[in-house]
Amino acid sequence: MLSLWPLLAALVSLSISSYAKSSTGDSVLVVLDPSLQRDNFSIFFKGLEANGYDLTFRAPKDVQPAVIQDDHAEFSHVILFAPEAKSPCYSQDITPQSLVTLLEKGTNLLVALSTKQTPLTSLAAEFSLILPPAGTPLVSHFPERDTPSTVVPVNVSVNPVVPSSLPPVWFSGTPFAFGNNPLLVPILNASPESFAADSDRDSGADAVYDAAEKGGEGFWAGSSLGLVAGFQTLGGARATWVGGIELFSDEYAEKTIGGIKSGNEPFAADVASWTFQESNVLRIESVAHHRVNETLPRETYTINDHVTFSAQVSKYNPETSAWEPYSGISDLQLEFTMLDPHIRTSLIPVPGEPGKYSVTFRVPDRHGVFKFVLDYKRKGWNFLESTTVVPVVPPRHDEYPRFLSPAWPYYAGAISTSIGFLVFSALWLTGDNQEQKKSKSAKSE
Amino acid sequence: MAGPKSTTSSASSNAVRSLLRAYNENTSSRLKFIDAFLLFLMLSGIIQFVYCILVTNFPFNAFLAGFGSCVGQFVLTASLRSQVNPVNRAEFKDVSPERAFADFALGSIVLHFFVYNFLG
Repeated sequence: MLSLWPLLAALVSLSISSYAKSSTGDSVLVVLDPSLQRDNFSIFFKGLEANGYDLTFRAPKDVQPAVIQDDHAEFSHVILFAPEAKSPCYSQDITPQSLVTLLEKGTNLLVALSTKQTPLTSLAAEFSLILPPAGTPLVSHFPERDTPSTVVPVNVSVNPVVPSSLPPVWFSGTPFAFGNNPLLVPILNASPESFAADSDRDSGADAVYDAAEKGGEGFWAGSSLGLVAGFQTLGGARATWVGGIELFSDEYAEKTIGGIKSGNEPFAADVASWTFQESNVLRIESVAHHRVNETLPRETYTINDHVTFSAQVSKYNPETSAWEPYSGISDLQLEFTMLDPHIRTSLIPVPGEPGKYSVTFRVPDRHGVFKFVLDYKRKGWNFLESTTVVPVVPPRHDEYPRFLSPAWPYYAGAISTSIGFLVFSALWLTGDNQEQKKSKSAKSE
Repeated sequence: MAGPKSTTSSASSNAVRSLLRAYNENTSSRLKFIDAFLLFLMLSGIIQFVYCILVTNFPFNAFLAGFGSCVGQFVLTASLRSQVNPVNRAEFKDVSPERAFADFALGSIVLHFFVYNFLG
């Protein structure tokens, strides 16, 4: 019996690894600084491997394996766990520019920052993350605990990336303020009583306050500071910035907060699952449009036609690694646009047909080249975009309505004139003969 | 105040009465027949115009066709009347009454063709 257990475990792990996968690929490059031991993050990495990811480790200075080979991204996802490496410590192929190129090619990034000034610090600014000056970690004196004040327990609020409520997580590292970029997805915010300071001694508190008073560097404090933030690029790739790499460490995952195991492990798994496009990935399978009471699309539509537009939306299910119909979007909108949206209406899920959203509307009384535009951009979800061009034409000469009831007096007028003309002609001709006869008879008389 | 008014009204009624009497006595029955048709066309046109103003002009093409048929037919019939009137014989020496009616009929047929094409 005992000898069966390893076999069972192997089977289970096999079945798991054949399950959950990312929607974009399984190969992950982990750029791990040599000073950080791989074993310190074993829970995080093992969780990824159990989810079916194929991890390749590499030091920042290694040349092989290359991130981009022959202008082709070799890995689906890149984890950059080298928060303190200065630029000479990186090989040629990992630069801020190449990381942006990776994102353009659809590779997802998970980047850990630190309080040190590195090339990644300036790259973070390109993602509208405003980092405090180097050497100012997040500090909080609450709640009272036995750890240093720079090791902070942070409550996790439920957001699209973290779907279920988790226990607080341990965090240690740099916070950042958010710039005005709509593509940013805040994942974890600092606790209200925490702040960034270059000293964890209380004697430095006055200096922080003075700096805020002078307005120089500002006051880095409060729950508007981000600790973990996602960035959804327009191309669909995702980049996640984490203020401190210790968030993923085994030490924090097993550390307790007030007697409860910390939420670091499930939180890190959620963050990785969002970053690697497992969760919150939607796509439009198909769109269709047709006139009411018809089934096939028209080449052109006539003004004032009643048109039905429907879209089929799928969501990626990482457990079966399949796209499944998804009817859970309640705020999907359709625009019928010619330069301006002439019609903007909500696309409502069709009951009984999973994944189908449909709306029927009247085409405006305006002809021209219109577009059905579906543009769904929500924080934490990838973007849905679909554009279908249709010409809207005025009615053909024989398509106007006929025999309208308000026009009957005019019809009657025209018809009575014609009948009058016929009767007049008939009487005139007969009368003409009679008169001729009369005149003849008069002449004869 | 009442005196002059009553005299003018009586004078005008006298004028109308003498006009009617003169019309009845001096107009041939054929011209009276044309006049009856003209009256019918005029009333029909007035009714359509009033309906257009008071109720709706919505199928405007239908209004134009109906009203235009009345006006066009009126013009054609009036020209027929002037051509067949014996008083105008001197002016239309070359046009016999038969020729005048043929012109009238052809013009009317063309008019009605356009009217029904436009009526919708």
